[in-house]
Amino acid sequence: MLTEIKEGMTLGPVAKHITQETINLYAEASGDCNPIHVDEAFAAKTPFGGTIAHGMLNLAYVSEMMTSAFGENWLSGGKLRAKFKESARPGDSLSVSAEVISLEKRDGVSYANCSFECRNQKGEIIVAGETTAKFAGDKE
Amino acid sequence: MQDKSVSYAELAPGYELPSATYELSEALVSKYLRAVDGSGDGFVPPLAITACAIAAMARSLSLPPDTVAIHASQDLEFLKLVPIGATVECRIKVAQKIERGRMSMLIMELEILDRGGERVQTGKATIALPS
Repeated sequence: MLTEIKEGMTLGPVAKHITQETINLYAEASGDCNPIHVDEAFAAKTPFGGTIAHGMLNLAYVSEMMTSAFGENWLSGGKLRAKFKESARPGDSLSVSAEVISLEKRDGVSYANCSFECRNQKGEIIVAGETTAKFAGDKE
Repeated sequence: MQDKSVSYAELAPGYELPSATYELSEALVSKYLRAVDGSGDGFVPPLAITACAIAAMARSLSLPPDTVAIHASQDLEFLKLVPIGATVECRIKVAQKIERGRMSMLIMELEILDRGGERVQTGKATIALPS
């Protein structure tokens, strides 16, 4: 967990490699077994041309980065807004990072507003959005 | 959990999907952490709870054959730490149903409560359904 949060600082990166086994494990753990994720024959006939990772799997990596930075203040009090731009596919290497855009204090509590993105090995944005987390700060 | 499919045509703003209850057991959390290549910290990862809600939603919706539902966006707010072993109830309702040309969009509101009825997480999911 970070001890000091400043505007402009970067969080992450969190790096992950996606395989079909990763996707299958996530499907089993979450109970979301939509064939677009786990049925290669079905997925090949869709406009995606193959299986894709669950959007929520990609968001789990964002949450991992935020938990590393803010600890329990993320787990209770964290906010996230995400747009899924592209699909992550088996074989992709993902990198999640964020930047602290602004700090604010409301009702005596300090908050860090961050902008995050998750990119694949080609530099394409898979997921992007904003997060907010409380932190122990002294910004007035 | 209760498992009952609702046809796409039945979905209208305000429609509540059958609620789903999950026990967030050590085994479930371990399986989730293995899947996301994560490490535990004594609490249930908030995205593991969201994943249960999204899966409940997917199971409840009976979409037209060969429809590929795409998760377009997700908003979440984590309100309370959830200890491993807790039981939560996922409530999901249709906030908006948008038909635009060959694309349909469902905006679903998620509310997850603990056994005491306190909200632990709220959110909004946008699901795109290209025809």
